[in-house]
Amino acid sequence: MIYADKSAGIIVAGATGRQGAFHIALMNEYAKTVGGAGVVAGVTPGKGGQVASGVPVYNSIREAMADIDAEVSVIFVPAAAAGDSIMESANAGLSLAVTITEHIPVHDTMNAIAFAKLHDCAVIGPNGPGLLSPGEIKLGIMPSHLFSRGNIGVISRSGTLTYEIVDELTKAGLGQSTVVGIGGDPVVGQTFSDVLRRFEEDQQTKAVVLIGEVGGALEEEGARSTNLPIAAYIAGISAPPEKRMGHAGAIIEGGEGDARSKIERLQKMEVPVASRPSEIPGIIKKIL
Amino acid sequence: MFGKSIKGVAVKEILAEERLEIQHEYYASIAVDRSTKEALILFTEEGGVDIEILARERPSAIRRASLPLLMTDIPPFMLRDLLGEAPREAGKVLQSLYTAFCRKDAILAEINPLVATPAGLFAADAKLIVDDNALRRQGISCNRDMTDREREAERHGFSYVELEGNIGVIGNGAGLTMATLDLISFFKGKAANFLDVGGGADQERVMHAVRLVAGVPSVKVIIVNLLGGITRCDEVARGIIAAGISQEVFVRLAGTNEEEGRSLLSERGYRMVGSMEEAVRAAVEAVR
Repeated sequence: MIYADKSAGIIVAGATGRQGAFHIALMNEYAKTVGGAGVVAGVTPGKGGQVASGVPVYNSIREAMADIDAEVSVIFVPAAAAGDSIMESANAGLSLAVTITEHIPVHDTMNAIAFAKLHDCAVIGPNGPGLLSPGEIKLGIMPSHLFSRGNIGVISRSGTLTYEIVDELTKAGLGQSTVVGIGGDPVVGQTFSDVLRRFEEDQQTKAVVLIGEVGGALEEEGARSTNLPIAAYIAGISAPPEKRMGHAGAIIEGGEGDARSKIERLQKMEVPVASRPSEIPGIIKKIL
Repeated sequence: MFGKSIKGVAVKEILAEERLEIQHEYYASIAVDRSTKEALILFTEEGGVDIEILARERPSAIRRASLPLLMTDIPPFMLRDLLGEAPREAGKVLQSLYTAFCRKDAILAEINPLVATPAGLFAADAKLIVDDNALRRQGISCNRDMTDREREAERHGFSYVELEGNIGVIGNGAGLTMATLDLISFFKGKAANFLDVGGGADQERVMHAVRLVAGVPSVKVIIVNLLGGITRCDEVARGIIAAGISQEVFVRLAGTNEEEGRSLLSERGYRMVGSMEEAVRAAVEAVR
């Protein structure tokens, strides 16, 4: 388990929206089964005093913190205000801001991450499903029934593809320590390297699956930075250049970030790369 | 030049400019750097060249600096480091370029070449790429060259890329959809498209997605690969049925109300498959 354990109180920003309210319920359902603190407050400016999925709503994080104990936030706030919500989380002293929101302008993301760093607040996302440590805590929107507790760490730029691979791992009897969706945007807070550093300090994690995709070079950067046994899968081997494959960050630009060269660089570092998701459990069993 | 086509784009307009007496050419650019999450400033005294080639062949000829966007100006020391022997005036150009980069939500602001003439410096050519997620607040309405199908996909909020094969693909999530395309090429088939319906796919959206892909003349079969927590499989099934298309559809569904979705589809003779690999194998087999 990394970033947060079951005792961490969760604030949901953007609590009164459809997404926010829906996922407060699911996160609290999960917290109940593991005996965790769960979502203790919601925040939506101007909606203080309301209740969202059984949780009290405050006008600001600072206001909520005066009443309750919280360590982390999960952000569902619409794109135009999501950067602000990250900064508000950091400024209030939270240690982690998990950002689910998609389509945040990249300058907002860069500014918010830089500001959060000054306050020692880690940002996960934006444009990701959050994280889940089976048996401990769920921060975000991952479907918990596919997960099982164990020793495998998972770091991914994707949402549903992560669930697919977690499902494969679980079916193969390989439980997970923590699964982190770092987000599909070109600029994200915690990168593969940052999460790997946390996994290195985690007694529970014995091996890590990196799920990457076309665009950038953060997968290789991560692989280079760690001594943990890792296996990788890179999506987008059939992606044409200069076309955005769904994620803002999934684009081969200026001949850089294509899947084939990524895979070659990983293999040069002796990282086994699966050619399809179903191969991952086999590779993990070999490297454990 | 009218009527000619350059790199596949038809010449519609020609820009005529005054002739400059060029003494020297420089290159200046500012871009979003995924790795540092800061603005990457590049300057070289060898402008007018293809910067990607120069970066590969003689990287030391390019000076670079990284600046957090929280800074309102480029600090003087950084300008001195960047400019080298270039005239002081180029520092003012860089400063203005940085201001434009920040104010315009740019992901790239580039002047190539920046030319020195007896009358001073001129930006002889420049490029500004604005972040897609910031177009609205920048008041920019986008007029891209799009096919009718691409326009329709955009209207429904799908991420859609046209490819050259005969297997239609619909998935939820960019990573999962990309992985489906990759599996098709792994099994030696050819995908006709990438279509990510996004989160919370309901009956209506699925119907439009299936009809859109079925409308591509080359599409012989369609794979629908939907996995997720919030996706309701019965809704998806109704969407596929409502689309009423003639091509064969291979459906992989996992999520809420899975059983109901499966039985709705099986009753009407749709091929249900247990995994995405099975779906891809069956589709590739069917078009062979």
